[in-house]
Amino acid sequence: MIEFLNRSYVRTALVGLLALGLQTTFLASASLAGIVVQLMLCLAVAAGVSGGSERGAITGFSLGLMFDLVLSTPLGLTALVYGLAGFLAGYFNSLSINHPWWLRSVVVGGSSLIVMFVHPVLATWVGVDGWLTTRVFKVAVVVGLANAVVGLAAVPLMRWSLAIKRQERLAPPPEIYA
Amino acid sequence: MPRYSVSRRRALALLTLTSILLITLDLQGNAVVDGVRKVFGAVFAPIQDSTRVITRPIENAWRGITGYDELTEENERLQDAIDQQEGAFIAALATVRDAQELLALNGIDNLADISSITAQVVGEGPSNFAQTIEINQGSNDGLRVGMPVVNAAGLVGKVTEVFADRAIVMLATDASYAVPVQVINLPEEETTTTTSTSTSTTTTTTTTSTTTIVPAVESPGLGVATSVPVDVATSPAPTTAAPSTSIASVLTVAPPTTTPARTTTTVDINDLPATETGALRGRGADRAPIVEFIDQSSRFGEIRVGAVIITAGGSKSLAPRGIVVGRVVKVVERSGTSGAVLEVRLSARLTSLNFVRVLLYQPAASR
Repeated sequence: MIEFLNRSYVRTALVGLLALGLQTTFLASASLAGIVVQLMLCLAVAAGVSGGSERGAITGFSLGLMFDLVLSTPLGLTALVYGLAGFLAGYFNSLSINHPWWLRSVVVGGSSLIVMFVHPVLATWVGVDGWLTTRVFKVAVVVGLANAVVGLAAVPLMRWSLAIKRQERLAPPPEIYA
Repeated sequence: MPRYSVSRRRALALLTLTSILLITLDLQGNAVVDGVRKVFGAVFAPIQDSTRVITRPIENAWRGITGYDELTEENERLQDAIDQQEGAFIAALATVRDAQELLALNGIDNLADISSITAQVVGEGPSNFAQTIEINQGSNDGLRVGMPVVNAAGLVGKVTEVFADRAIVMLATDASYAVPVQVINLPEEETTTTTSTSTSTTTTTTTTSTTTIVPAVESPGLGVATSVPVDVATSPAPTTAAPSTSIASVLTVAPPTTTPARTTTTVDINDLPATETGALRGRGADRAPIVEFIDQSSRFGEIRVGAVIITAGGSKSLAPRGIVVGRVVKVVERSGTSGAVLEVRLSARLTSLNFVRVLLYQPAASR
């Protein structure tokens, strides 16, 4: 049983479900300046920072798919966007060998900000009207800043969730060996 | 610069293609996708409920910290509004009762005939773009997709997803929301009520004809001036009273008549407020909904700020006729035949909903 729970995908699913619970209850109500903090996005980005672009993309896709199942937007849209977020975060993180805490925070915040612009663009592309407004700027800035702060805790959480060992964590990003 | 192996590129391409496939299936209304959503909703509901119970005190504390000043100001503002509306409400009740009696007399459906279920808002939308709320009633209580949701102030939205004991409501501000509405224009000038009274008696042969110009009366809650000329013909009544120039005194002292009194009330339809139909469409959280595609006639005249918007109803409309939507706050004229676009302030405050009513209404076309 413990061995089963220690598997990375089981941990990620459990963390994802708990985060989704928080996202749809507490965070949906306690907004910052009228903007809902996107914890699920933060975890997707943190997965990219912790485990590299490939694992980030897969984890982001999985978390996005879970989020999609409770939203009324087309299924797969959030999965696509969060997969991209995890990939982008992993890519940005791989550009540096050293990863001080502030840099991780910047990568999480910056990736979240970019993705909050991409999300309404893709939504409009698949036929969801009304998302691409000037409000996107406010949403992107608030979500980016909030995720930069939340990312300080989300990165270690996703490191545990993805079962990333210390040795692997301190090694250079896998992308440079590819 | 990092490079990516073929296997990684394949993995990424696979994820992208999976997403596109899912989006395509969902947009085409695939039953499997709906089924997966329902199953996940059932599995996730206990987790969500537990999280809600645990986080409620934190949420309340957060709201107490961040919204206290705003709440105090709102409370004072609402108290003023209640004081202003109290008198108007009592007057409106009588009018509403008359209207309902008339509708019932003519066999026309009205809102009071439609069953409804009260529901509490238990959650808000987790997305920054889609405008939704979650309510604590579902298919077990008779809710169906498409049913209109209202509160005491007016239209709130419509049910878009139904689970066994909860449902998702799309708010009227969502960009995907649309409903046919009627615009009740304000009169161009202050309307007058003209009362013409003609009274004759058999014994005194006195005939008095008076025309009284009464200032327009604003109907409470609707903001529409009434203009109803009333012809009152009182039958001859024996009286010994001296001829009087005051119609009031004649009517007051007149004893019971020997023939039954006959009163005729004539409503001139041309004096009633003009209405036109259009389509209300939401535009997201920060922008006011708009009414467009208005078929303006010469009788309708120029649309004025403050005109009332109600749902238009119809055999295919998801909302019955007569639900108050809001008022026009801005008229944007467009060139050509496209007509004006009206920005609307909704009567219901969608940012602070607590209890709502779901009208168990289905359009005639889908019954």
